[in-house]
Amino acid sequence: MDTKDQDELASPGVMSPDTTLSPLTIEKEITDNGTVQVIGPDQEQVPVGVKPKKTLTPFQESLRRLRRDKRAMVSLGVIIFFILLPIIGPLIYQHIGGTYNSAFQGSIGPAVYHNPFHGELDRQDELFSGQYWLGTDGIGRDLFARLMQGLLVSISVALLVEVVDILLGITVGVLAGFYGGWIDQLLARFTDIMFAFPGLLFAILLTGIFGTQADTAFSNIPIIGPNGNARLLLVSLALAFTAWPLMARYVRGQTLQLKEQQFIEAARTSGTSDLKIITRHIIPNLFSIVVVASTLNISGTIIGEAGLSLLGLGVQPPGSSIGLMISDASSGGNLQVHPWEVLLPSIVLTIIVLAFSFLGDGLRDAFDPRSKD
Amino acid sequence: MVQFLVKRFIGLIFVIIGVTFITFILGYFAPGDPIRELLGNHVTPQVYNNLKEAYGLNLPWYQQYWNFLSHLFRLDFGFSFHQQNYPVWNILRDGVPVSTELAFWALLIQLLVGIPVGIISALKANTWVDTVNMGTMLVLFALPSFVLAIFAQVLIVNLDNATSGSWPVAAAGNWNVGQYGWNEIQVKLAPILVFAAVGTALFARLARTSMLEVLRQDYVRTARAKGMRERSVVYRHAFRNAMIPLVTVFGLSIGLLVTGAFFIEQIFNIPGIGQQTITSINNRDYPVIQATTVLLAVAVVVGNLISDVLYSIVDPRIKAE
Repeated sequence: MDTKDQDELASPGVMSPDTTLSPLTIEKEITDNGTVQVIGPDQEQVPVGVKPKKTLTPFQESLRRLRRDKRAMVSLGVIIFFILLPIIGPLIYQHIGGTYNSAFQGSIGPAVYHNPFHGELDRQDELFSGQYWLGTDGIGRDLFARLMQGLLVSISVALLVEVVDILLGITVGVLAGFYGGWIDQLLARFTDIMFAFPGLLFAILLTGIFGTQADTAFSNIPIIGPNGNARLLLVSLALAFTAWPLMARYVRGQTLQLKEQQFIEAARTSGTSDLKIITRHIIPNLFSIVVVASTLNISGTIIGEAGLSLLGLGVQPPGSSIGLMISDASSGGNLQVHPWEVLLPSIVLTIIVLAFSFLGDGLRDAFDPRSKD
Repeated sequence: MVQFLVKRFIGLIFVIIGVTFITFILGYFAPGDPIRELLGNHVTPQVYNNLKEAYGLNLPWYQQYWNFLSHLFRLDFGFSFHQQNYPVWNILRDGVPVSTELAFWALLIQLLVGIPVGIISALKANTWVDTVNMGTMLVLFALPSFVLAIFAQVLIVNLDNATSGSWPVAAAGNWNVGQYGWNEIQVKLAPILVFAAVGTALFARLARTSMLEVLRQDYVRTARAKGMRERSVVYRHAFRNAMIPLVTVFGLSIGLLVTGAFFIEQIFNIPGIGQQTITSINNRDYPVIQATTVLLAVAVVVGNLISDVLYSIVDPRIKAE
């Protein structure tokens, strides 16, 4: 269904074989006695003062195309902001503000009341103030601190899922594409099943059935365990498990294409081992398709985690997640009185998801111009 | 054609076996002993063993799976663990019509809104109409359905305040299948629209791509060169051919509807099959979970099969393969 734009085709991306004439480059050849001999255009032929025209590798060309895509670059900025915010933000936020006379705990500093898990029961459902920048939720917790904690959860889950997704996808996809045979058949049947099985349904089942067990099993693990985050490991696993067949299918397709290329044939005829062909020639050429597919998958992952938490299957209270913030704020008639509390996480989630899809689209257009619709 | 159908059908059976196997294994390894939970504190080993035998849980796993499968093919889903003596079949009977109605209207809106929007965009490609249309559709496509549902809820709350409380905020189980009085429309309108949104965007984007592709074909140019009216060119020549690839999206949109159902039904409090699945997961009611999962997965598989068959009908070239 991809339409072919003639002028787009003229500049091949990484994903298409480079059929254009490659410019003359200086080649080095190691002679028998170990000295390096330079073969190439005579240096004196280039007139002094005239800069030789810089040639770009297909990869650099793709990067240039990406840089020219305003929407993708803005999205990239937004994404970087939302990654840095939950990492650096709390460190600063916990030092801003004076001491506060709590009705329950006496005099407390910003490190306490700007903690995402600390609630001041007499300061419920407030709007913006100097003390609570984005207001407070139904039990007097700082919404800004909770939002940053929720973003941290989203980003960690996305990272974990992508790592598993990429590793599994590349391994299975390359093996299936390169060797074919039973592993290819197995992958095809398995992806058929996984595509029929709505991904989220599988994640819901897995987290729903094994959730409480994961809570007790993982809650002792430092950093990820406490604060109701124990289930995130299970959530990530479930989301990665539903995501990787698609990645494997993309990788398989690309591998099949690469396998027919002349440079692979050349490598094979010169006696290169399969392992070396795969690691040196095939995997580096998968870079663009993996980047594009995983960027596009991240928005699905972030939605998945938020959705599972919204359904009560992800992060458990008192933890914070964007989905949990939405469900906390929309339950029990809260929506009528304090729509802000539900709009804040929804809008932030929307922005992140849109940013990742725009960046993914931009990357696809930049690295594979043929797929542009 | 027949060969193609047979091949697809064998694939379908294979997929269904895989799906039921995953569902069964998840239930089999699920933590907790359902019999013990069923009996509560009054356990004697005698009763326990009898009940375990009655449910067939003392058999090895492959025999349990075989029983599960053979019961499934007889549409015998057993009894709910949570609501004792209540057949799973009855639970499905309550939920399926609700979800089907929701999905039917959503699908109809997707087709009736999505395709025309895509066609108009293609005909006015690269004008402001196209930009606005496709911008909206891109946002609708990227938005998670539950965020859209929340936005709709906030809107309804405001509407409720503006009309001094005459617009119900959540369905609250008030879903009367097949009735379309003013009250029912108030309840059903928002969930259906939200439910339709993602698929509408999908259809619109693909309809635009497909139409643009067709408009570039030689036969369209020939038709124009013959001096045909633009209207006939668009409707008689381009439109029909542009619709062919959209048939394949049908299966995909069924999948979207199934996953969307969980959130829409949960947020709008609609007693459909999505909400039942979530409730039964929270209650660890495995027979219900297994039944709804298999049902939803089969819906997706059958949706894919239907779109494959339709594709081979509308595009005769596929028979050759």
